[in-house]
Amino acid sequence: MNQVAIIGVGHTKFGKLEDKDLMDLLCEASLEAIRDSNTNDKDFDAVYVASMLAETLNYITGVASALVDRIGLLPAAADHIKNGPASGGSAIKNAFYAIASGACDLVLVSGAEKMTHITTPGAVTSAVASMTHHTAERQHGASLPSFAGMMARSYMERYNVPKEWITSIAVKNHRNGLNNPYAHFQKEITLEKAMSSPMIADPLQLYDICPISDGGAALVMCNADIAKKYCDTPILITGLGQATDTHIVYEREDMTVLKALQICSDKAYKMANKTPKDIDVAELHDAFEILEAVESEDIGFFKKGEGAKAAWEGQTEIGGVIPINPSGGLKAKGHPLGATGVAQVVELVWQLRGEAGKRQVSGANTGITCNFGGFGNNIISILVERM
Amino acid sequence: MSADEILIGIKCKKCGYLQHSSHVRCIKCKNNTFETIEAKGPCVLLTYTILNAPPMEFRDKKSIALGVVEFENGIKALGQINPIEDLSIGMKLNPEYGKICNNLDGKEVYSYFFSAIK
Repeated sequence: MNQVAIIGVGHTKFGKLEDKDLMDLLCEASLEAIRDSNTNDKDFDAVYVASMLAETLNYITGVASALVDRIGLLPAAADHIKNGPASGGSAIKNAFYAIASGACDLVLVSGAEKMTHITTPGAVTSAVASMTHHTAERQHGASLPSFAGMMARSYMERYNVPKEWITSIAVKNHRNGLNNPYAHFQKEITLEKAMSSPMIADPLQLYDICPISDGGAALVMCNADIAKKYCDTPILITGLGQATDTHIVYEREDMTVLKALQICSDKAYKMANKTPKDIDVAELHDAFEILEAVESEDIGFFKKGEGAKAAWEGQTEIGGVIPINPSGGLKAKGHPLGATGVAQVVELVWQLRGEAGKRQVSGANTGITCNFGGFGNNIISILVERM
Repeated sequence: MSADEILIGIKCKKCGYLQHSSHVRCIKCKNNTFETIEAKGPCVLLTYTILNAPPMEFRDKKSIALGVVEFENGIKALGQINPIEDLSIGMKLNPEYGKICNNLDGKEVYSYFFSAIK
């Protein structure tokens, strides 16, 4: 299997971007990644585009074919990858195996979502909830926030966790987002303010939940043998795992465990010959802050029931034992669904290159992601290292 | 249609694993023959949330309570809980049957929901 390198990254501003449509975001992120990789006039073998709701919210189909045409990459192979909020991770996985297998040498991954133009109350929530099990969950009113609320209630009761410990994760992520110029929110919040925000999915409050965002992110990936032709600091993808869990959330043995993450991160660690102790920085999928707590356990950083406590104690801060979401995470950076899995890896590339500015994790050589699809029923973990 | 017709589970004839009726092969052993099991009696609330920003089809209500319940014979289900006040993990609920929403096509949807045992 060929080694696979990331040689260029692109990232649009995340937020409410009224003057940009979905194709604008894909183009902007892609061209930035191409510029960053110094592959300007090169032909690409393939392009993988991640967008979860292009059809539903933007009435656009064939986004991958449209993108290669718009940015002058014809006749590259082009595929639209859809795996819910883990579409970005899935697109990277497809690119990884295309290069690792020897089928492709130079590949673009681009992810984006345009969401904030939808103004009907509950419409985005309904569109996202369409990935839940229809008869068992969806038709009864289940949505992603409701699952997160139920998970949080079980977690707090089981492990005797005060709500403040979970909400402290939002405070930490906003502090990190303050130093990320691409973040939806570059604004600190206090624990007091977060704890007095409106209740959305009891016990989760407004500030425990990520915003609805527009944005795009992109990577240029290549066979590592040719990476140094383009870039002085290629970043290798040395581990990658994907796993699924029950579609019906209540069919899991324990609603506070993300078994798919345990399995996929274990695959990524084994592929890279690493352990959780080797990781310097992580980007986890905190669409709801309870998820960052649970993911920090199931990816191997903390024992079950101790993730929220570790965050409360500052162990996941930049400068802590294992910095999590220096980008601000989905909570502060934003969560344009198809872009998110790609943006997580973009942040790790900046961290491993030493280009993350005021949010730089000192000496970061190895990083890992959790990109979470459905409500944890399809998760991808990507492990990256300096070459 | 009654609540009993909807609130069923299927039990794998090979390994005995109890699961939702939408599975066409057992999620534990891949067998494809099942016995239908009816949910009986009251159920226990395992976890719940009160959702103040429900999906579009439920916006005729300001808030809905959703919970996961387990019946004595092991069948689990997710549904709305009425009324939404005074809920706690471990409380006993009864299944009921009625309109739960108008779907996005405007059609009335009837199914089970749960209410506290008084």
